[in-house]
Amino acid sequence: MVVRIRLARFGNKHSPIYNVVVAQARSARDSKPLEVIGTFNTVPQKPTNLSDEEARRARAFKEVSLDRSRAKYWLGVGAQPSGSVWKLLNLAGLVEPKEKSQN
Amino acid sequence: MPPRIQNQLASNSLLPFLSSTSTPSTSSSASLSKLPISQYSPSSSCSSRRSSRPFSSTASTQTKLRNEMFTWLKKEGEALKNHTPGSTNYLSALRFRGEEGQRPPSWPFPLNPSFVSEPVLSEELRNDIYERVVVKKKSVRAVSVELGVDMRRVGAVVRLVELEKRMKQQGKSMALPYARAIHEMIPTTPLHDDARGHRFKPHEAINDLPVHRLTETQIFYPVSESRQFNRVDAGRVFSAAPAQEHTQVARNASDPAAAVSRVTQQPSTIETVGKGADETQVLQAADMRIPHPHLVAHQRHRLEKPNEAREAQDLYKKRLKVEETAEKERKRISKERAEQKLLKVQPEASRFEFRFKDVEVSRETVGKDGRGSKAPGHRYGVPSYDRKKGQVKIPTRVEV
Repeated sequence: MVVRIRLARFGNKHSPIYNVVVAQARSARDSKPLEVIGTFNTVPQKPTNLSDEEARRARAFKEVSLDRSRAKYWLGVGAQPSGSVWKLLNLAGLVEPKEKSQN
Repeated sequence: MPPRIQNQLASNSLLPFLSSTSTPSTSSSASLSKLPISQYSPSSSCSSRRSSRPFSSTASTQTKLRNEMFTWLKKEGEALKNHTPGSTNYLSALRFRGEEGQRPPSWPFPLNPSFVSEPVLSEELRNDIYERVVVKKKSVRAVSVELGVDMRRVGAVVRLVELEKRMKQQGKSMALPYARAIHEMIPTTPLHDDARGHRFKPHEAINDLPVHRLTETQIFYPVSESRQFNRVDAGRVFSAAPAQEHTQVARNASDPAAAVSRVTQQPSTIETVGKGADETQVLQAADMRIPHPHLVAHQRHRLEKPNEAREAQDLYKKRLKVEETAEKERKRISKERAEQKLLKVQPEASRFEFRFKDVEVSRETVGKDGRGSKAPGHRYGVPSYDRKKGQVKIPTRVEV
C-alpha cells in the first residue's frame, strides 16, 4: 500500500488549519497518521509591525511549519505527496515542480 | 439628556421614540409623531401602561418616580446641569456644595466612596510622551520614570498618537469637541514644566509588582530560626526548587544590585525546575519582577551615600543605559533567531508569501506516546476545549 504525504483538516467550521501528515493512502483523512511532520494555515495573515510604506508593498502570508529532514526521509523511502503538499514541498525546495499533464 | 416632558403622555413607553430630539434620525421621529398613537398601542408589544391595566385604580409607580425625578432635576439637580470647566461634575459634589474652597470629590457615585475615578493623561502630557519617545528617541523605560506613567501606558500612548497622526494625514474627522468636553469634566494629570519636581505625585504607580499565579497558594513552610529566610528563598519555595547553596547566598547578599541586574539583563540564565513540558523558571524575588528594578538600586545608593546626589544621578543614568542596551541586545538576538528559523518564499504565480518555519519531529518533541506538547501540528485524541465554558477566545494581547 502506498504511503502518502497529505493534509489532514483540523480547526473549526470556517477556520481550517491543516496538519501535514504521512499516512497510508487508503486510511481516512483524519485518522491517526504514521507521523505529523508539519502544519499549514491556508488563511492568509497580514504582516504586522511595518511602516506605512512597507505595509503597502507587503504581501499577506501563509504560515507553513515543516520538519524538512523528516520530509526528505519520507520522500526518500517513496512516500508520494498529494497535489497540495507537492506544491508546498516545491516551495520549500524539496521536490521538483510537478509537470502539467499534456492533453 | 432624558426628555423632560411632564404630561399625560409621560407614562407612554413609546415616548422615547416619539420625542427623541437628541437622536440623529430626526426625520424618522418627526414622521412617527405625526401618526396617531392609537395605531400603535393595541398591536405593538410595548403598549402603554394605561391600556395594559384598564381596571386598575392604583396610580402607576413609574409616573410617581418620574415625577420625583423631575422635581429633583429642578431643585438639587439644577446645580449639575452645567459643568464648570476644569473640575468634575459628580453627584457626590452636592454634599460639598456649601463648603467653599474645598476640592470637588473624586468619586462619581455618592454611595460608593471606594470607587475613585482615576485621572487620565492631559492632551499636553500625552503629546509630550510621544515627543520624548519618538522624536528624542528616549527609551520607554526612561520616559516612564521621568513622567510617572506606566510603561504599558507609554507604549499605548505612542501607538495611539501615531494612529491619530495618520488619521489626520488621511483627512479623517476628529471628535475634538467631544474630547475637549470629556477632558473638562474628568480629572486629568497636567504636564509640569519640571517633571522631576512633581515626582512625588505621579500619574500612577509605575513600579507595581504583578501578582504571580504561583504566589496565590498558601504554603506552610517550617524554617529553622537560625536560617535567614528572605524573598529569594520564598520564591524558591513557591516554585518547589531546592534551597540555594551557601556560597551563592553569600555572593548575592554582598551585592544585591548586581544580583538583581544579573537576572534582569540575562533572563535566560534563570534556573529552571521540572522536566519536559513542565519545565519552568524558578520564581524570582519581587526585586527582580518589578517593572523598574533599577529604581530600587538607585534609592539604595542614595540612602547609603546621602551627600553624593550628583554621583547618584550619574550612576542612575549609567545603570539605565546598561539596562536599555541589554534589552535591545536581547530583542535583536531573539529576532535574529526567529528569522533564522524562517524561510520566506514569494512565488511568482501567487499573491501570497509562504513562510516556512522549521520544526522538529523527534522522540524528544513527540514523546513516547506521540502526544508531546512540543511536537508540530494539532494533537490526535486530545480533546479541544474551545467550546468549553469560560474559555477566553478574544485576543488578550496585541502582537506587534
